[in-house]
Amino acid sequence: MSDARILDRGYRRYEGPRRGVAGAVGSLARHSALRALGLRRSFWAKLLPLASVGIAYVPALVFVGIAALLPDQLRQGSDLLPSYAGYYGFITAAIVLFVALVGPEVLCPDRRHRMLGLYLASPLTRDTYLVAKVLAVVPVLALVTLGPPLLLLVGLTFADAGPDSPGAFAADLVRIIVGGLVISAAYTAVSLAVASFTDRRPVASAGVILVLLVSSVATVALVAGGASERLFLLNLGAVPFELVQRIYGERGEMDVATVELVLANLAWTLGAAALLRGRYQRLRVAR
Amino acid sequence: MVAAAGLVKRWGQVAALDGATFEIGAGVTGLLGANGAGKTTLLSLILGLHPPDAGSVEVFGLDPGRAGPEVRQRIGYAPEHDALAPDVAAQDLVRHLAEIHGLPRREATARASDTLWLVGLGEERHRPVGTMSTGQRQRVKLAAALAHDPALILLDEPTNGLDPVQREEMLALIRRIGGEFGVDVVLSSHLLDEVERTCGATVILDQGRVVAAGDLDGLRTGGTGLVVDVDTQPELLARRLRSESLEVTVDGLRLVVAGDAGAGADAVRDAAADLGIGLRRLQPRTATLEDVYLAAGRAPAGPG
Repeated sequence: MSDARILDRGYRRYEGPRRGVAGAVGSLARHSALRALGLRRSFWAKLLPLASVGIAYVPALVFVGIAALLPDQLRQGSDLLPSYAGYYGFITAAIVLFVALVGPEVLCPDRRHRMLGLYLASPLTRDTYLVAKVLAVVPVLALVTLGPPLLLLVGLTFADAGPDSPGAFAADLVRIIVGGLVISAAYTAVSLAVASFTDRRPVASAGVILVLLVSSVATVALVAGGASERLFLLNLGAVPFELVQRIYGERGEMDVATVELVLANLAWTLGAAALLRGRYQRLRVAR
Repeated sequence: MVAAAGLVKRWGQVAALDGATFEIGAGVTGLLGANGAGKTTLLSLILGLHPPDAGSVEVFGLDPGRAGPEVRQRIGYAPEHDALAPDVAAQDLVRHLAEIHGLPRREATARASDTLWLVGLGEERHRPVGTMSTGQRQRVKLAAALAHDPALILLDEPTNGLDPVQREEMLALIRRIGGEFGVDVVLSSHLLDEVERTCGATVILDQGRVVAAGDLDGLRTGGTGLVVDVDTQPELLARRLRSESLEVTVDGLRLVVAGDAGAGADAVRDAAADLGIGLRRLQPRTATLEDVYLAAGRAPAGPG
């Protein structure tokens, strides 16, 4: 076998089609999503995101197991299984942790390592760059906001403990998808907006958790002290989950109208998105 | 390729560009100026990353402010500072940026590999960028700028942090890109000799203003005097010429005679014949880029 190798293959021109802005957005979204999950990265980069995803699915697996092992108790109206909306109560911590990891991971390193300048020197603009980042984060967050209740629905259906008609199955499916996307959209906007204030990922992660915790603790304390229940609409840690409960026709702890909840959720999501956009429009790049 | 008229850009109170007007054509063009002269700002306006405060710039006949994606799809850009994710392998990074510039995934993969071989990093292409030396990272940036086959490459101080050998290799690579590969290059540098040895044309910036622009040959025609190469006794000839009130400097076997070239040539010919000194060269002196720079009232930087 010869040791000869071609070291210089010359330069080839590329005459084929180019995929334009849509292709650039798709490529960046895919790349960012894979990085957020730690894929094609070191073990330590994978550990926390995959652990958070795992934690979010464990209760669903347990409940599906219970449904498979104890079908008689379920048929007799036992309270062993949570509702789909109630399921989020088991995984709120995992969702918050995941949100705090994913948003900063997707946004901060590009500024810290100055990759942003290279991206904006491509067909991407500041706006399409952010669209790509949102398209990366929403489906990744959906892994923990949409995936587990979906698994619960499918598992319970196979265990003969799910919806009792195709129509009921479809209705639950739509509620799960809409509910999961509501939470994903709100927390995508909030986590990216917080991450736009720093290029240090750990600081941004702490910031996301702080924003969610402080808004929860402060509003609960104020309402307990006699303030209006409407202050709950400032509770970022609870508003999306409360709205999901309303989607399932249930009520949580907030004594506010559903319309107000929808508007508050929209305001948080769009407000955070506007803040994010404003931050990036003002950024000076290319140094 | 690039045309600017009356370009003004301010960062707060500082005017980074102050009425810059120039044209950049095909080949390798140097963007020369001291640090802070406005080179990087100019590149960012060419890319459409920031709008000018006044004036206009056209790239490929398009306004990068309005047709940014279309313009940038045809441009490769290597920024001055490290701008690479350290934990990503060079091959993955170059492929990713080629995809972002519109290449299909398979083509981007093949071209990323080929381009890394071209810049001399074929063997290292699977290493994370953060583990590479400064010289290697500069080459990765060059490969990333080249991989999607742009019509124009903007290189911002591509030899920063390189040792002399690496610098020579990088400049040879840039000459090859502009010549053999047929990709037009704008080379931003504060080093005069880099531009002089690598570029066919230059735009010289000083405090945001264009102080000279054009082909190097054209800029050099402003020289005066004579260059004389002799085969022996340069000091003897110099003394004779000085005795005839000519201003002469000696550098080895070369004499540079200031003043009118026609009258000087006659004096040199006659003096050399009288003294029996052989002349190897006798020609009008062309200005160096340094002369052009100095004529603009600025001191250029020497090799780094």
